[in-house]
Amino acid sequence: MNSLPAFRALTLNRVRASVRDRTALIFTLGLAVLFMIIFGLLFGGNGLSVSFDAVNNDSTAASTGYLKALRSVSGVSVDVKSHAAAFADLKNDSVTAVLVIPSGFGAAYAGQGPPQQVAIYQAGGGSSSTAIADAVVSNVTAGFAGRGHPSLTVSAPKVAEVNQVTEMDYMLPSMIAYIILFSGVNYVAIGLVEMRVKQVLRRFRATPVRSGTILAAQVVGGGLTVLLQIVVLVALGIWVFGAKNYGSWLLLIPPVVLGTASFVGIGFLITSVSRTSEAARALAAMITFPLMFLSGLFFPISSLPTVVQDIARILPLAWASDALHQVMNDGAGFSAIGTDCLVMAAWAVVTISVAAWRFRWD
Amino acid sequence: MIHAEPMPAAVRLRGEMADIDVTGLVKRYGDVVAVDGLSFSVQKGEVFGMLGPNGAGKTTTLEIIEGLRVPDAGTVQVLGTDVIAHPSTVKERIGVQLQATALPEFTKVREAVELFAALYRRSRPVNEVIEEFNLEEKADTYTDKLSGGQMQRLSIALALINDPDLVFLDEPTTGLDPQARLNIWTVIEGIRKRGKTVVLTTHYMEEAERLCDRVAVIERGRIVALDTPRRLIVEHAPGTTIEFALVSGLDVETLEKLPGVDRVVADGRVSVTTRTPEAVLHALLDPQAPWAAAAPGAGGDGEGEGTIRDLLVRHGTLEDVFLSLTGRSLRE
Repeated sequence: MNSLPAFRALTLNRVRASVRDRTALIFTLGLAVLFMIIFGLLFGGNGLSVSFDAVNNDSTAASTGYLKALRSVSGVSVDVKSHAAAFADLKNDSVTAVLVIPSGFGAAYAGQGPPQQVAIYQAGGGSSSTAIADAVVSNVTAGFAGRGHPSLTVSAPKVAEVNQVTEMDYMLPSMIAYIILFSGVNYVAIGLVEMRVKQVLRRFRATPVRSGTILAAQVVGGGLTVLLQIVVLVALGIWVFGAKNYGSWLLLIPPVVLGTASFVGIGFLITSVSRTSEAARALAAMITFPLMFLSGLFFPISSLPTVVQDIARILPLAWASDALHQVMNDGAGFSAIGTDCLVMAAWAVVTISVAAWRFRWD
Repeated sequence: MIHAEPMPAAVRLRGEMADIDVTGLVKRYGDVVAVDGLSFSVQKGEVFGMLGPNGAGKTTTLEIIEGLRVPDAGTVQVLGTDVIAHPSTVKERIGVQLQATALPEFTKVREAVELFAALYRRSRPVNEVIEEFNLEEKADTYTDKLSGGQMQRLSIALALINDPDLVFLDEPTTGLDPQARLNIWTVIEGIRKRGKTVVLTTHYMEEAERLCDRVAVIERGRIVALDTPRRLIVEHAPGTTIEFALVSGLDVETLEKLPGVDRVVADGRVSVTTRTPEAVLHALLDPQAPWAAAAPGAGGDGEGEGTIRDLLVRHGTLEDVFLSLTGRSLRE
């Protein structure tokens, strides 16, 4: 028979049941929102503090004195760094701006060389703290050189080619990864096993609908529920928490779909080694919670010890998280997330094949 | 192996096929033989009962006929189609109620009916089915909030959504209160009146006696008897059964020697089958009998104390048929 109406009805039933299952939603969407609130409160408050990295190409008493004057402003901190380190900090959003003091600064100050300009680099986005940084530097420079001293000026702020990623911007893709991880494992995979235990699958099989259609509808229905949750999460993230997506919305689809598929596969593997669905849920929790902390959801993976990084990089959550962050935070194109997608696809193919081979109807 | 009685000649002459034709069915799970060479057929319009204790192989047999399991040996023709080769064709034309309720979570009654209606090529109007099974008031209730009786009505309604020719009901009244059970019996009688063939399993004797045209008594994966309830009783549990609790001084051997006793089965209580109940009762209740004298407290305060207790005299039932065929009680 034409299995499309049956597939549609089964999928709709699955989506509707999942959306009505409030307890499950609390553990996925609810926890994701809670994480955003907690991390937003912990790290979101910028206050009036501005921090600079200074690249000192001059290294004279004059430039050291200039930085000292800058540090003396309350709420301002200045670290002297190499050019590369300073711009890395700017990219990580750990400083408000980078100052570059040109060589010849000391000479210009002494009136012995050509006029020099202190360059200020900020991340894009132009938030209030960057405006403050700009004003602070202009004032300090003017005061340091003496009013009307023509030889020292500050350049107009240059936007460095990085996005100024806030904590919320970082948390949003993290929480998308969290939802695909938890829903993929718990909702889709373990949910399917519960339907088997409760004989729901058997009841469906007593109808003329093909077995493959029944299974596909459950998995697709579960997957659609994951997408719905992500849509709600992104809407909340943008309109309530003020997060931004610097990349393409369409490019989120490959990591979301492949990530979900690989977690569904892992969920199936978990269930195939568990005797009961309760045991499966416990095992899933033992695997998923550490995975969250190892895979760059709450802090960049590069801040972990290398051994842990190596372990984390075997598992698909790190790849999903990397792809989502690259797209949403760095505005990366498909080529940048190609490897991520390939690894997730490999995970999905392997785990789902094993699950299909091991699947029992009862 | 006991085969079903041959198909009536009249049916064969008219060239009609049986709705179900099972021969030499075997299903093993590892070393356990769940179904051990079953053969029987079910005629069109018949209500066919499968009677046996839990684990006798009733459900496995049913699920093979429904196309849910593949047997290790044997053939199964359902509505003229080989169910092992063409399960979908058969499933389109049969209705199935599984033993477990087995409905998806967070689904309302109407949604469940709509869902199952979408799973068949042809199905009856959703509202009509809801009305027929008196589920209008519960149409917007989640299925897990239904009472046991309502749930069974829904699950039978779902079995009939595709207007099947043949309906399978696996223990339709297990766990229901007497009121709800009567209600389901009326529902099943209604299905039968519409000319549908019904196959049901049960371990309730009254149910089999009231509903079934023929009953297959199944034990350890074999059919030990197959006939109409009446003929099973006449053949295997004729006469009257006298039941009582065993007292000291009276054993099965002694009972078997009493004049008029046909058979004695001791299974917790003692069941004595006889065609001369008056004579047997007289002997049992004789105050001079050794067991009356030996009984503690004989001649004491209570009426009948020390002799025979919890006496019950009744006609044979399918329960007795089962006892006599297997030496075991149906409900353990």
